[in-house]
Amino acid sequence: MPAKDVFGRAFPVILLTAVVAICVSLLTYVGSITLPRIEALEVQKIQGMLSGMFPDMSRYTFEDEIYAIYSDEVRIGYAFVAVGKGYGGAINILVGLEDEATIKRITVISHTETPGLGSRITEDLFTGQFVRLSVDDAALRRDGGQIDAITGATISSRAVADAVRITAVEKVKVLEDSEEGG
Amino acid sequence: MGKFAQEFAKGLIITNPVLVLLLGLCPALAVSTSIDNALGMTLAVLIVLLGSNIIIAAMRNFVPSITRIPIFIVIIATLVTVVNLLFHAYLPDLHETLGIYLPLVVVNCIVLGRAEAFASKNPVVRSIADALGMTVGFMLALLMISLIRQMLGTGEMSVFGVHFFSLPVLSSRPVAIFILPPGGFLVIGLLLGLFKWTGVLKR
Amino acid sequence: MNELIVIFLSMALINNFILVRYLGLCPFLGVSKELGPAVSMGIAVTFVMIIASLATWLINHYILIPFDIQYMYIIVFILVIASLVQVIELFIKKTNIALYSAFGIYLPLITTNCAVLGVTIINMMGSYTLLESLVAALGGGLGFTLVLAIMAGIREKLELADTPRAMKGAPIALITATLLGLAFFGFVGIV
Repeated sequence: MPAKDVFGRAFPVILLTAVVAICVSLLTYVGSITLPRIEALEVQKIQGMLSGMFPDMSRYTFEDEIYAIYSDEVRIGYAFVAVGKGYGGAINILVGLEDEATIKRITVISHTETPGLGSRITEDLFTGQFVRLSVDDAALRRDGGQIDAITGATISSRAVADAVRITAVEKVKVLEDSEEGG
Repeated sequence: MGKFAQEFAKGLIITNPVLVLLLGLCPALAVSTSIDNALGMTLAVLIVLLGSNIIIAAMRNFVPSITRIPIFIVIIATLVTVVNLLFHAYLPDLHETLGIYLPLVVVNCIVLGRAEAFASKNPVVRSIADALGMTVGFMLALLMISLIRQMLGTGEMSVFGVHFFSLPVLSSRPVAIFILPPGGFLVIGLLLGLFKWTGVLKR
Repeated sequence: MNELIVIFLSMALINNFILVRYLGLCPFLGVSKELGPAVSMGIAVTFVMIIASLATWLINHYILIPFDIQYMYIIVFILVIASLVQVIELFIKKTNIALYSAFGIYLPLITTNCAVLGVTIINMMGSYTLLESLVAALGGGLGFTLVLAIMAGIREKLELADTPRAMKGAPIALITATLLGLAFFGFVGIV
């Protein structure tokens, strides 16, 4: 086959590959500029939420997916992100613990629940119930716990309560294990 | 210059992408709950449509027809990813509000449609005019819808945090349906009917 | 199991793709004029949604996340969907001509259907497991088909009704969608 013919047949593929290569390089470049900044914004956001939850916080550490909160040199609590599965998808919740058995507070970071119904999980009326709540009681009343669900939004409410409780138990175990080991 | 203006004006009314061609409805209805969102989406579409029209028009003479669609898709998807990253880093609130509809610009019928129908067959300068016209047309349609939905659905008129005025009865008892999904269908259906009736859009 | 039911019902009814999420509107207005094509399109879309969810989940978990290039998901997902649709179309054409004439022609349109890319993004952002993603795709697709079928049934009757000239076609279809959407609101509290 004449070389020109081969080139003609291969050209579409060559062009496509070249285009993909250029695009991927462009993206990697843009990514290198934006991704660190996105990450920084995330950290800022978490920091803001943590200090909102623990007003006396002076610093925090992040290990094993758990934030340990310190006021000067005294550890005043822990925090972690729990993910509940609600109607519309993931509900991200920041849970603050006073100690291994008591919740300090919770804050809903993000969700895509139904506006006007499930979205009310962000309201104080609902999240306030978790303040100083014992971890074992973080469940809906009808499930044996102490939380009143939002009327008409049982699924969203349950998703939050269960996520808080189950993740808290999980994280406490991690803490206890690391304390024993270390 | 006349040709440029002509291509540009086409996108505004005669072949308005949303109201006449019925393209790009998905994001149009989803983000038209407030003027801020509408403008934010317009910015995203502007960057992607302008970029893709320019690049595709520049490449139009040497892209073989079998690989046309894959190449268009890769280019448009790259532009959308760039916009997604830039918004996420520099306009985080807008990025969060637009949510899933920002990446969905990649399958926005307006962008692919203009690439196929126009930019692949026309010189760069005219393609720029087309992109600008279509974007402005898109913006006008979106603004019309969001103006109505925001005013009736919340009773307040505020853009980017600047509060302009509150409507007397509506601000305390807004007609929530307009902010909700069915309201979007209602507003655009009535608008389309109105335009056809007054003969602004001859269809 | 309970979670899967919630996901299914949420995708199909409560957060219906067409009436609540505004995804898949182009075929909604274009193909919902007659019942037959509407259902065919719906089934084709459901099928593609499920396969696309499978493919994108695998790619996301075994390639994108491990190599830390998740931000490239848009390009990868849409190319996967476009290729899948091509392959499916070829496959049906070669193996079952009857099936192809039934809904093979809708397949190219499905590439740009917001619902397909939409469900893959929803799966990714919700961090759904593979099973949850497939259930979500099934639910989303069936809900999409349901609404398409209902619209087609209504529009067939609308053709014979005395619609004002300005409202004929898209406008009245959109008003119908409003009413359907309002009706679907009733599903919000079912679980």
